[in-house]
Amino acid sequence: MKTPELVVSAIPHIHSGNSIRKIMINIMIALAPAVLIGVYFFGMDTIRVIAIAVGSAIGWELLLQKIMGRPVAINNLTGAAGGLILAMILPPTAPWWMICIGTLIMILLGKEIYGGLGNNPFNGVLIAWVVLQMSYPDQMMYWLAPPGDFMTESPPLEVLKTEGVQAVSEYFSTGGLLMGNTTGFIGEVSSLMLLIGGAYLLIKKVIPWQIPAGFLAGIILFSGIFWLANPQEYANPFFHLLAGGAMIAAFFIATDMTSSPVTPKGMLIFGLLCGVMTVVIRQWGAWDDGAYYAVFLISVLTPLLDKIKPKVYGR
Amino acid sequence: MKSGTFPGGLCLSVQTAGVSMSFEAVPPSRQVTIPLQQHVGSPCGAAVKKGAEVKIGDILGESSGPDTAAVHATVSGKVTEVVKKFPDMHGGASPAVVIESDGQNAVGEFSMEGSDPLTLIEQAGIVDLDREPVPLHTKLVAAKEKRVNTLVVSGVDVEPHMTNRSALLAERASDVASGMEIMGGILGAKVCIGVSEDASGAVSSICAAAGSANVVTLKPKYPQSLKELLVKAVVGKEIPSSGVPEDVGVTVVSVETALAVARAVNEKKPLLERFVTVAGSAVGNPRNVLVKIGTLIQDVLEFCGVSSVSKGKVIIGGPLMGVAISSTDIPVTKETTGIYVQEKGEVTDFPSGVCVKCGLCVQVCPLGLMPFLISGFSESGSYAMAEKEDILTCNECGCCAYVCPVLIPMVQWIKLGKSEIRAQRSSE
Ligand code: SF4
Ligand code: SF4
Repeated sequence: MKTPELVVSAIPHIHSGNSIRKIMINIMIALAPAVLIGVYFFGMDTIRVIAIAVGSAIGWELLLQKIMGRPVAINNLTGAAGGLILAMILPPTAPWWMICIGTLIMILLGKEIYGGLGNNPFNGVLIAWVVLQMSYPDQMMYWLAPPGDFMTESPPLEVLKTEGVQAVSEYFSTGGLLMGNTTGFIGEVSSLMLLIGGAYLLIKKVIPWQIPAGFLAGIILFSGIFWLANPQEYANPFFHLLAGGAMIAAFFIATDMTSSPVTPKGMLIFGLLCGVMTVVIRQWGAWDDGAYYAVFLISVLTPLLDKIKPKVYGR
Repeated sequence: MKSGTFPGGLCLSVQTAGVSMSFEAVPPSRQVTIPLQQHVGSPCGAAVKKGAEVKIGDILGESSGPDTAAVHATVSGKVTEVVKKFPDMHGGASPAVVIESDGQNAVGEFSMEGSDPLTLIEQAGIVDLDREPVPLHTKLVAAKEKRVNTLVVSGVDVEPHMTNRSALLAERASDVASGMEIMGGILGAKVCIGVSEDASGAVSSICAAAGSANVVTLKPKYPQSLKELLVKAVVGKEIPSSGVPEDVGVTVVSVETALAVARAVNEKKPLLERFVTVAGSAVGNPRNVLVKIGTLIQDVLEFCGVSSVSKGKVIIGGPLMGVAISSTDIPVTKETTGIYVQEKGEVTDFPSGVCVKCGLCVQVCPLGLMPFLISGFSESGSYAMAEKEDILTCNECGCCAYVCPVLIPMVQWIKLGKSEIRAQRSSE
């Protein structure tokens, strides 16, 4: 036997095959149920928003990487997945120019300006969302009603804020909240579809369980305390869980790799804090839905949470 | 009983059905090369000269102190050369004796004398047949001085794809048990053996043969075979950082070692062969074979039907911790646990990217380290920081690099950092 050229390299010699591209593909697959029900509810508008968001995100990425002289890395699909997630938290009426501004901010401030993927302190999707929310509040709250009979055309959390707990239980059934028979952002309305996607991500081990588990537990525990103390005044924990952006934030937004902590304990605490903060903002804040702001604020603590390290063997 | 385990690690399901477990003997090569150093320590002095006639079991290199282990001829024939520097798999070199076999396989008169097990172990040239091949007599003497109270025998396969330990337990449980008892007797210690729970043949036969020894089943997770995790799972104690198992009253040896001890003490036979797993994508049917020390890797591969591995990889050991070699012209030694051969297509390229802080490496590190952090510090030359993050605790199991989605060669950086820190320390 002749063995002319043998490859010699460092260990390990095998690899799991995991890659950023695979992670992003899985995230997009997991969003499919929410996308489908979005199409069912809002029709062509959903397709329009998603197409513009994903297309422009890839376009901006390509352009910025060329301008900054970096290797073009649109193949890892971070731009596409980011665009899709952003589309999920825009109203179905979002005008094309606003979507493009959003994706530009997402790619520029969420990634490229810091030197590319991995160096960004914030979640690009959230930066974009917050900027749009601040700059174009009218466009961001121009709702479209899904087909069917409704008692209100306002999203559940707006009803909670303006009309109170009584109205909420009158207007919204648990089933309706699960399926997403309410107004709201394209991808946040149906908790059930997001749960299915989230379960897929957990089974595939694409996201750590600690973040969504902490997030949902934080919501239930914190809102539960107030609800038990005064159910006339405060909404019940399951409403908080199913309404607004809680689900999509817990499974798809707070789990952004770079802006969330790296250690299992840190992730759990991060999730818990996000959940608590969501309820705090919803109950006492100026905004109707606290989920996205909560993740954005708590991610500031990530460097601190990264200090909570696992116990080192033999120490 | 619940099986022991550890946090983190990798669950790699590897198909072991159809793997040949019977240790077919590889016929000895026409020419064997036997290094005079196959152990941690310093090389033996050559006991033979060019032109000498030797028979199987004759001493080639005499043990001359605690950091040497005797080396014996594994074929009969003529010494054609005593090489000063023969390359070893770590990129170093050691003196070696080359024997041209006469094909007779004549067995010499073994010069092993006495009945004291420790002396017999020394004469047999046994090393602990594990990751660090320390001369066994030295290891046992040191353990005795430290009054260890538990001998932990590692029956867990070293790595995924390597099945030789399970196979040995299934096939030769009574010899293994005898060797365990002998070592337990030398140390005056309690004996425990850790076995992977999924190796069903191994568990049942060792349970039947073990006698007073305690059989502990362990979950089939990588890298359970490493001494840190084995000691923790079997006796529940952690080896203190930069310490040794003896610090917590434990000594760890492998199943192959126990077998060699049984042969040395019961049959007065030296260590002449190694039980080797040959697996990997380039190997049609993974198998376990019995190889005489000194047989070239090339000949073992040919016996196993591996004809060409051009642009592939030949690894001594398993796919995660093994050492890739540049030439198959090196011999099987006491250190060789397995041979893993990858075809060209299976060789992973590591075009590494930037860490995205996904935390997967932290999740799998069995020692609770922050792999991306220590590797990053090493890469940027911040060795003091890396040391503060316990880089020296890392046992280079490779779990972190295995899962990293951006393929950062973390073990490479960590190795570099560790050696820099050690070099700095020794120069102080
Ligand atoms: S190689 Fe070191 S750092 Fe990486 S997982 Fe293993 S012990 Fe942890
Ligand atoms: S697995 Fe790789 S990308 Fe993820 S945190 Fe570790 S080093 Fe970074």
